[in-house]
Amino acid sequence: MKEGKRLSTISKGPDWQDLIEQVVHHSCTGIAPDAERLLRKAEAREDGPVAKSMLGSMIENIELAEELDKPVCQSPGFPAVYITFGKNSVMPDFTTIFKEIIPKMVADGFIRPSIVHPLTRKNTEDSTGPGVPNFEYDYRPEADYVELIVSFKACGAELMNAYKTFTSSTLGEDLEGLKKFVVGQVVEAKGIPCPPGAIGVGIGGQMDVAARLSRRAVSVREWDDTNPDPMLAELEEELLESINSTGIGPGGTGGRTTALGVKVLMAYTHTAIAPVAVNFHCWVARRAGVRVYDDGRIERLFWRCDR
Amino acid sequence: MAEYRLTVPLTEEDVRKLHVGDIVYLTGEVFTARDMAHLRARSLLEKGEPVPEPPMREGGVLFHAGPVMVKEGGVWKLMAIGPTTSMRMEPHCDIIPKLGVRVLVGKGGMGQSSLSTFKDWGAVYLAAAPGCAVKHAGAFISLKFVGWLDMGIPEAVWDFEVADWGPLVVAMDSHGLSIYDMIMEKARKILGY
Repeated sequence: MKEGKRLSTISKGPDWQDLIEQVVHHSCTGIAPDAERLLRKAEAREDGPVAKSMLGSMIENIELAEELDKPVCQSPGFPAVYITFGKNSVMPDFTTIFKEIIPKMVADGFIRPSIVHPLTRKNTEDSTGPGVPNFEYDYRPEADYVELIVSFKACGAELMNAYKTFTSSTLGEDLEGLKKFVVGQVVEAKGIPCPPGAIGVGIGGQMDVAARLSRRAVSVREWDDTNPDPMLAELEEELLESINSTGIGPGGTGGRTTALGVKVLMAYTHTAIAPVAVNFHCWVARRAGVRVYDDGRIERLFWRCDR
Repeated sequence: MAEYRLTVPLTEEDVRKLHVGDIVYLTGEVFTARDMAHLRARSLLEKGEPVPEPPMREGGVLFHAGPVMVKEGGVWKLMAIGPTTSMRMEPHCDIIPKLGVRVLVGKGGMGQSSLSTFKDWGAVYLAAAPGCAVKHAGAFISLKFVGWLDMGIPEAVWDFEVADWGPLVVAMDSHGLSIYDMIMEKARKILGY
């Protein structure tokens, strides 16, 4: 009796299993609203027939995926999960939940079984495996919520990622060395990373920090937001302008739009080095998330009904 | 910039008339092959053993792709199919003539070895809109064959019948031109790199 009464006064908490299933389904079947806004703007700006046709196909494809409830791209890429939590947060075992949901999505045809042993190349057949998805936990004591963002980032883009450890000298005057590295890598990549997507730039820390920031930048930031750091906002704008002056265009077959956004995240670093990682995201911005407040409110993130 | 509607199997003459920037729509048989299928085909050819024929036969269309397939009531159903990064298959361009392939479809383009193979043998590379897997799937009407499933669904060889699949852009032709090289050269000039 006493036990029963106690249980009835405790809030059941969110149904994480159900929420995550919705988030994974939503992210596989469409692109985030911020990316869609930019894609539509870009389509209106293009005047070449090939670029217009490429962007037109992309827009038609996202509409079809939504209407037919199909995976928006055949490649599910590699999943990363970004979790932010505070000092009072109560969290379930996310690893176990994902290990149940991903095979279910594979069986239902929303995720192609694409995860393999890195050396033998043997496919696990259910798109799970050690280290998959990759979880990034961010503890912010003041957060009165648990936030979870799932990002399926495709791997054609991954082929062209690059890293360089700059120094005070090689950064160059007015950061010319850094700028040339980022824009030069975009030119080198041509159509391989499925442009026009977002270019993530991670700066600072050591190699591991820069690389993680570069992936986070294109995964948790809205592609049309403005960097709160004025210096980085200016850098993002300048890099985007240079990248879009190259003429590489949608799909790499020419046009005005080579990137929809450049997103920089930064950490401080050691006086001897300036680590810089460049991380390509294709145009297929498969991201969705949920924020569950301690008081039970639920907010959906990167949700298409908000567009 | 011309537009062509071509039917598979294709002849050398069919592809020689295509030039960079032309638009193509394909009808007929199209098979998929990614890294693992190229590696296995190469190893069989080197040992003098046969490759699956069909679909690897004269006049064929090779699609760099791995579809999303589900089995419903014992029958394979196509959910989505779109191009994968073609550059990964660059080390295998020498087997293209041996497989009889006249058209490659993919995304992102290929390199200099492929371009010279296309010129010598008579083949073209067509760019499919990347990431547009639901739109492309609309042109894929039936599955004819699947082989090498032991390599996993994405890496297996899937042979489809397509109808009026396009628009596909001629991005590398059999006359030594590559849209990707032309764009890169222009980009370097603009940036002064």
